[in-house]
Amino acid sequence: MSSDSVAVIGFIVLFALMLLRVPVGMAMGLVGVTGFGYLVGSGPALKLIGQTSMRTVTDYTFGVIPMFLLMGAFVSASGISSELFRAANTFVGHRKGGLGVATIAACAGFAAISGSSVATAATFSSVAYPEMRRYGYPQSFATGVIAAGGTLGAMLPPSTVLAVYGIITQQDIGKLFVAGILPGLLAISMHMLTIGVIGAVRPGFLPAGPKSRWQERVQGLRDVWAPLLLFVFVVGGLYGGIFTPTEAGGVGAGGAFLLGVARGRLSRADIRASLLQATRTAAAVFTVLIGALLFGYFLTVTQVPQKVTEFMTGLGLGPYGVLALIMLMYLVLGCLMDAMAMIILTVPIIFPVVTALGFDPIWFGVIIVMTVELGLIHPPVGMNVFVIKSVVKDVKFATIFKGVIPFIAADMVRLVILIAFPLIATYLPSRM
Amino acid sequence: PASAQDKPVTLKLSHWVPPSHPLQKAIQDWAEDVKRASGGTINYLVFPSEQLGKAFDHYDMARDGIADLAYVNPGYQPGRFPVIAAGELPFMISDAHTGSAALDAWYRPYAAQEMKDVHYCFAFVHDPSGIHARKKILLPSDISGMKVRPANATIGAFVVSLGGTNVQASAPESRDALERGVADAITFPWGSLVLFGIDKVVKYHMDAPLYVSDFVWVMNKKTYDDMSPSQKKVIDDHCTTEWAQRFASPWADFEHAGRDKVKAETGHDVYQLTNEEVAQWRKAAEPLKAKWAEGVKKTGADPEKAFADFTTTLEKYKAGY
Amino acid sequence: MVGPAPQLGEKSIGAAGASAPASAPPRSFMDRIIDGIELLAAVFVGLVAADTFISVLLRKFFSTSIPDSYDFGRMLLGILIFWGIAATSYRGTHITVDLVWSAASPRYQRIIDIFATLVLLFVVTMQTLMLFDKVAQTRADNVLTYDLHFPTWPFFAIAWVGDVSAVLLIAIRTWRLIFQPGSFSRMPLKPVE
Ligand code: NA
Ligand code: NA
Repeated sequence: MSSDSVAVIGFIVLFALMLLRVPVGMAMGLVGVTGFGYLVGSGPALKLIGQTSMRTVTDYTFGVIPMFLLMGAFVSASGISSELFRAANTFVGHRKGGLGVATIAACAGFAAISGSSVATAATFSSVAYPEMRRYGYPQSFATGVIAAGGTLGAMLPPSTVLAVYGIITQQDIGKLFVAGILPGLLAISMHMLTIGVIGAVRPGFLPAGPKSRWQERVQGLRDVWAPLLLFVFVVGGLYGGIFTPTEAGGVGAGGAFLLGVARGRLSRADIRASLLQATRTAAAVFTVLIGALLFGYFLTVTQVPQKVTEFMTGLGLGPYGVLALIMLMYLVLGCLMDAMAMIILTVPIIFPVVTALGFDPIWFGVIIVMTVELGLIHPPVGMNVFVIKSVVKDVKFATIFKGVIPFIAADMVRLVILIAFPLIATYLPSRM
Repeated sequence: PASAQDKPVTLKLSHWVPPSHPLQKAIQDWAEDVKRASGGTINYLVFPSEQLGKAFDHYDMARDGIADLAYVNPGYQPGRFPVIAAGELPFMISDAHTGSAALDAWYRPYAAQEMKDVHYCFAFVHDPSGIHARKKILLPSDISGMKVRPANATIGAFVVSLGGTNVQASAPESRDALERGVADAITFPWGSLVLFGIDKVVKYHMDAPLYVSDFVWVMNKKTYDDMSPSQKKVIDDHCTTEWAQRFASPWADFEHAGRDKVKAETGHDVYQLTNEEVAQWRKAAEPLKAKWAEGVKKTGADPEKAFADFTTTLEKYKAGY
Repeated sequence: MVGPAPQLGEKSIGAAGASAPASAPPRSFMDRIIDGIELLAAVFVGLVAADTFISVLLRKFFSTSIPDSYDFGRMLLGILIFWGIAATSYRGTHITVDLVWSAASPRYQRIIDIFATLVLLFVVTMQTLMLFDKVAQTRADNVLTYDLHFPTWPFFAIAWVGDVSAVLLIAIRTWRLIFQPGSFSRMPLKPVE
């Protein structure tokens, strides 16, 4: 059998296993090792398992993942989401759609310490949704805004998905994090602008809340400044060249811990639970990393990435034509699977194409994360939507998707802006 | 000499530097020559940039058959290959061309023991280089309190013995480490210094053969054993001391040219050491030799004899400092 | 995923990790062992963070470093991941594609779950066998840490024991799925993305 046929069969078996709910990392590892064994020999394939597993879990630079997960868990456990929401609300709650804008702002603040979109969406489903409903916001808008705000989690640093992209493509994780800042700010502004537009075109659709006094505003800020300062310190230190990414994570986790204890917000049970939370997620992410590497070695010996690159660059579509094709593929894949699975499955094949076309690898990291994040909210399968549905029991899927449509439109526009002006993503990292 | 009945094979050649590195071409030239000599029965595929496995794992990859031939830095893993570490001792080798030939000629008999689970092809070195730092380092005592990114385990032990601390970083991470103050100094070859942009962050360069790294090019045993006698002969003809030097040359020239590039840049201090200063460094490095001898003794080899052989071989090839 | 759904939300994290939901049956001996394994992994997360945090402080303020903090840090990371994988495999919180599963009837969901767990058991068993080989090989090859020249294989061995416990836990999970259906709650919420 030719190596091409082996690769095709490998992909088919992989998809079958994944659809049968075999953990993504394990399925990739199984298919990767079996395929490698068929092409190279079973002895080397078996050795590859021990070597790759041990090398991956003991790679110092990958320590960035549990460190930032731990920082996020500590800050969350010491209570920041409702404080963020309350603080933002005191400033904008009295305007039309103001609670929606406050939700986006609070999601952004939470995203700044959390690496996960799903965590952001889950948190604000319980924090912001009841408030919006209490002031008479329609269900579709309230859930839509949370689904969209949740996607900021992976765009703003720290971001687990960006870190994994960096590991697979051997790009500097620190630069990737910093590259996410301006596109993330653009996303925040465009989400807020979208709420403004909705309010303007549908009079009476979005209500306004009561106006807060300045005293309340100062009070609200007092609860959130410390953790947000920690974020500025950590990301600033990354940007300014004080820490490596792993160190920034360690400093963030240590700082979040000290801050939480000093403010009397972290009980022993909270500390224990935060450590457990970081462990669980880290274990899940490393499982897919090991699987992705094993599958990657299999693909390398089939030479599929080289052939796909030759094929794609030989289509005569030009760089932007091929890029459009790739993004279309991601939007379709986004109907089927979640962000992390998409990244680890496709990046080893797509990345050589993208670099061969002359695109900037850091910029592409931001683009690809934005595209897969769209998959989190677009129908029929969207993790953020599922998560909201699991917290807000009485809402229909269709209602959430309806509420999210304006934000999907805004995200599409943002993608086009990022492609037209790559400097938005590349400027800050180029100054590091 | 190959015959038409030889079973055609395709060798997977693995290394961990980018395809733009001069080593890529050296590997291709070697493999092309093997292919030509075998009448096309020994074909090859080159996998650069850790495509087939991490840098640290390359010896194991050749041993386990994940790759058929692999480029290995034995100094990455302290304690694992004690004998060949003699090549890493400071102020021993002054030239990469003759030094590669000398290292290979000397090490070949030891390789049968120390690297017995692979088929040894040859050993070589890169262009000897000094230490590059944010401040001027003239004497061993200057290292005290400094954070140094060492090239290999021997230099790492040297740094610790002089009161400095080690910073571990891969070649691409090194610039970052220096820029962020994670490291103050680095041992790095000259051409790569410019290639990785490290000349943008360090200004003081010691121009002396303070350090050199050893490398080996090794083959999977089974791959070799499964070949026909005529194919084996082709491989044998390409695993020689002459080939060690030929293989190392493009890289050596590339690194050597870097010295003049750095000298030509403004604001850089490229300085030589006086004989007296060199004597101090040699004296400071004495414990390293003792430590090396200790490691060699554990393997059952005679360190005295091995070291004496090494210095004579270096003299014979005119590669000593 | 075990326990109450919004593990990711604030404060509820504490509730999810620290105690079982009020309605759940009393925790069995097995559950406590699993909690213990998870807690052990969690302690190592704390150690890695402390190692990194203290190293940065020492470097910035005292211009010095813990010898081998790099090697210790990465080996502790290895330990925490393998022990964490054990707990994650048992709890079913791996990253999965739930498209078919969530559309299936409970009967088919159970069949899918059993199939997936059997595959998981096979993969992790193979991994554990080959990791044993890796630990033994590392010992035979005399691989040492950079600064203190401490053997690395004992760290690898501790990590490997985590993988052994993963095999045991997945075997128990498989057994429970087949013979004690209902002992796992069905929450398609996953920790990452
Ligand atoms: Na984030
Ligand atoms: Na989707």
